[in-house]
Amino acid sequence: MINTSNGMMSTTSSSNAQSPGLKTYFKTPEGRYKLHYEKTHPSGLLHYAHGKTVTQVTLAHLKDKPAPSTPTAPSSSFSTGSGVRSAAARLLGGGNGSRALSFVGGNGGSKSVSASSRVGSLVASSSSSSTSTSNFDGKGTYLIFNVGDAIFISDLNSQDKDPVKSIHFSNSNPVCHAFDQDAKDGHDLIIGLNSGDVYSVSLRQQLQDVGKKLVGAQHYNKDGSVSSSRCTSIAWVPGGDGAFVVAHADGNLYVYEKSKDGAGDSSFPVIKDQAQFSVAHARYSKSNPIARWHICHGSINSIAFSTDGASLATVGRDGYLRIFDYSKEQLICGGKSYYGALLCCAWSMDGKYILTGGEDDLVQVWSMEDRKVVAWGEGHNSWVSGVAFDSYWSSPNSDGMGETVMYRFGSVGQDTQLLLWDLEMDEIVVPLRRCPPGGSPTYSAGSQSSHWDNALPVGTLQPAPIMRDVPKISPLVAHRVHTEPLSGLMFTQESVLTVCREGHIKVWMRPGVSESQSNNSETVLSTSLKEKPLSSGKVGSSSYKQ
Amino acid sequence: MGAAGSKLEKALGDQFPEGERYFGLENFGNTCYCNSVLQALYFCVPFREQLLEYYSSNKSTGDAEENLLTCLADLFTQISSQKKKTGVIAPKRFVQRLKKQNELFRSYMHQDAHEFLNFLLNELVDILEKEAQAAKSDQETSSPPEKMVNGPKNAQANGSHKDPLVTWVHKNFQGILTNETRCLRCETVTARDETFFDLSLDIEQNSSITSCLKNFSSTETLNAEDKFFCDKCCSLQEAQKRMKIKKPPHILVIHLKRFKYIEQLGRYKKLSYRVVFPLELKLSNTVEDAESEYSLFAVVVHVGSGPNHGHYVSLVKSHNHWLFFDDENVEMIDESAVQTFFGSAQEYSSNTDHGYILFYESLGTSNKS
Repeated sequence: MINTSNGMMSTTSSSNAQSPGLKTYFKTPEGRYKLHYEKTHPSGLLHYAHGKTVTQVTLAHLKDKPAPSTPTAPSSSFSTGSGVRSAAARLLGGGNGSRALSFVGGNGGSKSVSASSRVGSLVASSSSSSTSTSNFDGKGTYLIFNVGDAIFISDLNSQDKDPVKSIHFSNSNPVCHAFDQDAKDGHDLIIGLNSGDVYSVSLRQQLQDVGKKLVGAQHYNKDGSVSSSRCTSIAWVPGGDGAFVVAHADGNLYVYEKSKDGAGDSSFPVIKDQAQFSVAHARYSKSNPIARWHICHGSINSIAFSTDGASLATVGRDGYLRIFDYSKEQLICGGKSYYGALLCCAWSMDGKYILTGGEDDLVQVWSMEDRKVVAWGEGHNSWVSGVAFDSYWSSPNSDGMGETVMYRFGSVGQDTQLLLWDLEMDEIVVPLRRCPPGGSPTYSAGSQSSHWDNALPVGTLQPAPIMRDVPKISPLVAHRVHTEPLSGLMFTQESVLTVCREGHIKVWMRPGVSESQSNNSETVLSTSLKEKPLSSGKVGSSSYKQ
Repeated sequence: MGAAGSKLEKALGDQFPEGERYFGLENFGNTCYCNSVLQALYFCVPFREQLLEYYSSNKSTGDAEENLLTCLADLFTQISSQKKKTGVIAPKRFVQRLKKQNELFRSYMHQDAHEFLNFLLNELVDILEKEAQAAKSDQETSSPPEKMVNGPKNAQANGSHKDPLVTWVHKNFQGILTNETRCLRCETVTARDETFFDLSLDIEQNSSITSCLKNFSSTETLNAEDKFFCDKCCSLQEAQKRMKIKKPPHILVIHLKRFKYIEQLGRYKKLSYRVVFPLELKLSNTVEDAESEYSLFAVVVHVGSGPNHGHYVSLVKSHNHWLFFDDENVEMIDESAVQTFFGSAQEYSSNTDHGYILFYESLGTSNKS
């Protein structure tokens, strides 16, 4: 908009949307990731939304038909980062015969996955939806994201930039959301608001409705009756039979059950010690929320369940990562950041590691086995706002058993960069790194001093480590992906998704996927697009600027 | 002084800190640069306490000549001894004295808050040093009040002064930087120490204070026309230079260089870059592993799009509450509101309130378990 005065800007400030500095691909040792799709919201919203809320993204896969009687398998919802919730990982291994793509729980997908088979599955799923023109069943993979006072829903596999649906909230701004792939009773999407209010709805029902309001919603913590503190993070309890948890800015986390009417009286005792962890259960069986966990002084910034749902990780304003045994309601372990608040956290698929990112610009790798920080990733020039393991990554040298397991993970920051990292446990122990091909600076690592090995009893929190004591790792790739500070990232089988605070999403296709797939999926998906109720989401023009 | 004050009192309720006063400062025409810095200094508790102590001990020796130090002490005493908990005070004498002292601040033009802070701290130090010297010549035998404790180590810090005095202003704000230059021919490292009251950092778009501090201490190569005269080689040589913090100050003042001279334009321009600052900070660019943690307690904010106009306000943390001072007005704000003053990720943004001077206080050396 105001482009008159760029001449004098320094190189790092060329942050206009048309910025020529942004490339549409980035290189990794395994090949190029290419910008495939961009998703955004109607531009008219920008001025209202700018800076008011931080966009988070949830990935949601809607299956063929509404399945009211899904077996209560462990739920698929798990989080991959503060800005991004993903519920789609399991859909690929969900036992559907047509999708023979193996999705290995441990670390990364099988290498036998080929581009063509993936396209095949896409075609299959898309074409079947064309049979139900009149009764749109909403099947597909969607991105749900919040901007300002609205929730937008975009079709992930469509080249259309604009969302297919927008839902406006008159009372407050939606700030966090989560989707449960295997939800019973239809309600699979939960949304937390700035006011503390929480809604559960059926995603399919929203897509079928043409209006701009939430339909068929169940309302919890109505008008902040239980807590008027801002929601910060929300998650379904994996295998929790419709239970979900909502974290708030006042350091409390509430446990709800979606089957229960939210109207029951839920009052909890006054918290005596703000700094002390405590759990209080509702006095009446009809109450919803059913429990309150007071976790820390100050805001809980992000929460993440381990894939099996056994453990819950939280990070907060006080700089502590805490890991709880969810069913026992006990603190297992945790530790403090180098300094400042922690903003995001994510589990590895095998539950062995937790990533955190925060205001010390560091990506922290926490080992559940060692109950301590095992590596600090240095490379961001600002706060780290999103972290995620790439669960589809398979290490090139992981053929034999007992070999060093290598993990791939990503991080995004307020420096507008996406960083990819390799974590090889051998390297952590002997922390001198080989020079990464990207030419990024290497950092010499600290000494493995003896006081590192002190095992701590259950339930204790570690103080902030000393700089020289923690091995450092360097990123494999550092790429400036957006013009605005980023708020989250997510890995899918085909792509890496990055999202910025202002609500722009970029889909980066993995090497070897983009060319073969883009053609196919575009044709397939353009047909399926026609059948979708487009009206509601298409507010602005598609030529979105800045 | 009714409405705003009582509103703040209501907001704090019984949490209003015992003995604390929250007073707005009247604006005498573009004196917000002064008001915003004064509030930050007032809520720099060790500085305030030592100034009040100085005032009470100095008053007993009879009324000395008026200077910037006495005016500031007067003002702080006036605030702290108010019967009411909130209200507005006119820092008239202080501002008059400031204008008398320095013609730079005499006009009604928009002034730079950092320049004012710098001038004020140096002026206070000068006054204290002169007083100490006078006291010394008065009574040669008795030991001067605040002699340097670890003399030999830092003795040359202030260069010309034979016997540098460490006043309470120094004790609060002074840190020591060491400028290490390594000759690339003979590998000799020359270290030169210099003292500082604040760190002025170059800023980049979408970066953090941590990153700006890293850049501040990054290695710079001196070559071509900018070679280094190596005493050992007795000639100009290529060299590597880096700045490290030798002694971290108790109060760390960080000045963001938001006003940059743009040669093509022949004038200054305000950089509205988004530079995030954490509420807690550690310095990693120190000579020794200091690892001491700092906590943010005040932010001077520049409001406006250009360097020659605009407004200054300040955010202050007092007894775990954040307060917003805008000349006469004082409001309570949420801690999370601090992040609305980081700056703009895009240049066109309508947000023009940008953190300009940050005040961090050391929490003492952290856990060395």
